[in-house]
Amino acid sequence: MAISTAQLPGELTNRPGRVGLKRVLGPDYRMAYLFITPIVLLVLSLVAYPFTYAIYLSMTHKLVGLPPVFVGFENYIRLTWDGFFQRAVVNSFIFTFGSVGFKLVLGVVMALVLTANIRWRSFWTGVLLIPWVAPTVVSALNFLWIFDGSLGVLNYVLVRVLGVLPQGLGWLSEPGLAMASVVAVNIWRGFPFFGISFLAGMKAIPAELYEAAEVDGASVVQRFRHITLPGIRNIMIIVVLLSTIWTFNDFQIIYILTKGGPGGTTMVMPVFTYETAFGAQRLGEAIAVALYLLPALAVTIMVLARYMRKGRKA
Amino acid sequence: MLVTLALVVLFPFYWMTITSFKSEEQMRSVVSMFWPKPIVTENYHQLLSKTDFAAWYGNSVFVAVSSTLVATSVGTIGAYALARLRFLGRGFMASATLITYLVPPSILFIPLYAQMRNLGLANSLAGLIAAYPSFTVPFVTWLLMGYFESIPEELEEAAMIDGATRFGAFYRIVLPLSAPGVLAAGLYAFTQAWNEFLYALVFITDGRLRTLPVGLASFITGDVYGWGYLMAGAVLTTLPVIAAYIYLQKYMVEGLTAGGVKG
Repeated sequence: MAISTAQLPGELTNRPGRVGLKRVLGPDYRMAYLFITPIVLLVLSLVAYPFTYAIYLSMTHKLVGLPPVFVGFENYIRLTWDGFFQRAVVNSFIFTFGSVGFKLVLGVVMALVLTANIRWRSFWTGVLLIPWVAPTVVSALNFLWIFDGSLGVLNYVLVRVLGVLPQGLGWLSEPGLAMASVVAVNIWRGFPFFGISFLAGMKAIPAELYEAAEVDGASVVQRFRHITLPGIRNIMIIVVLLSTIWTFNDFQIIYILTKGGPGGTTMVMPVFTYETAFGAQRLGEAIAVALYLLPALAVTIMVLARYMRKGRKA
Repeated sequence: MLVTLALVVLFPFYWMTITSFKSEEQMRSVVSMFWPKPIVTENYHQLLSKTDFAAWYGNSVFVAVSSTLVATSVGTIGAYALARLRFLGRGFMASATLITYLVPPSILFIPLYAQMRNLGLANSLAGLIAAYPSFTVPFVTWLLMGYFESIPEELEEAAMIDGATRFGAFYRIVLPLSAPGVLAAGLYAFTQAWNEFLYALVFITDGRLRTLPVGLASFITGDVYGWGYLMAGAVLTTLPVIAAYIYLQKYMVEGLTAGGVKG
């Protein structure tokens, strides 16, 4: 953070008291603090305070409507050995990395398709971005209907139109299929964000680089590997980290499609948190679930924030 | 390739729309799968007359508009301070805002719920309006910081040399120039508030006070889902967002790429 005092407007020099404050707090401090106060208040009351309170609550036995009883790390220790919790952690990682991996690939494909020489580019860009703008709940409900075992259109197409399956599958009700189905929905909703970000990155790569490479006889694949990929490397890191946080904490898709079922095969940590808090009414333990991987989340956020600020300054 | 992607992207919306115009009969007997024959509007009548959908719509509009106004005004001045003004603590606040944007709601929803209960704001739309700035404000601020930084500083300097105050330079020069950015940020805030699910699910217990996403999801708690009117509700819930998006696509795409990532 740099405070520059080089550009002080001349009128200030004849007000010695102010100059002293300005030297310490910065030349624009009065307007700045006025403008920044609402954000400070919001961050303190809506994020910092609840977050601190959450850490405290996670170390208590707290039932809804009753005062909390402090128990130290007991919730965390118990969770560590809880089979349901362990499975939720594993499922969360499967859900997250399965989704993010495919979103990355599809995002690159989308960006490449949109940088190719096509007509109505902005129209197609707009169309492909729709899943990202539409309400997630609506999309999840759409897929609940599409996946429906008896009347859903997916089974109809596969069995009656294409004839590739002898009979319909329970996309959300068969333990072996449910995770793949919810991952597919998350990919569907999330890949446009990857695509649009990569597209912006690719547009920023100077065309001369490609022309020079072409003159030197580089193939399309070589140009992609040695010019495009390095050119969008920073954006890729940012988008993958952002999406990892978002996907790991995605609640709506699984809550609506499976509620963690069948038999817990799609139970992920956010839904487990919700069930513990509002199903079992154990708030302290629920928050311990939400905060269990806090160290990993904190590291991810710090790295990501650094990249995002660096990306801005460049 | 492009066409395949577009089909995959659009199919669920096409399916939602035609389902909303089918009768229960048509769905049960699996006839006229890909185009409803005849087209019936009965689902929409049912939805509006027999459910609380209209009330939910009002709630969603109220909550989304209020939180958009809060987020846009607080975010605009805050972003200007963080992007342009020189003061002690600027770097720290810029980082704090960004980190706040990255903290997921799944960590905050229980303590926020407890906090709203203590304030007597649980189970009220005011509670949602109070909570939504936790994600809309940091996002708007981050997005507009990028926008303000892209406006040449010389414009304000010139205005101040001509006698404008710092505030005057912001109000008369920077703000009008940033109108598209503020508009895009406001639309995103609206979309986020309109689509929000978790806080609304947890905070609101009274059926009539639900917002649209939670209300729609509540249709699936029974064993027999009325797919027709559920999809009719889904269509009506998606419309404002998509309409705003189509109308202002250029700004929103630019805003997203400028605000989310850049570099």
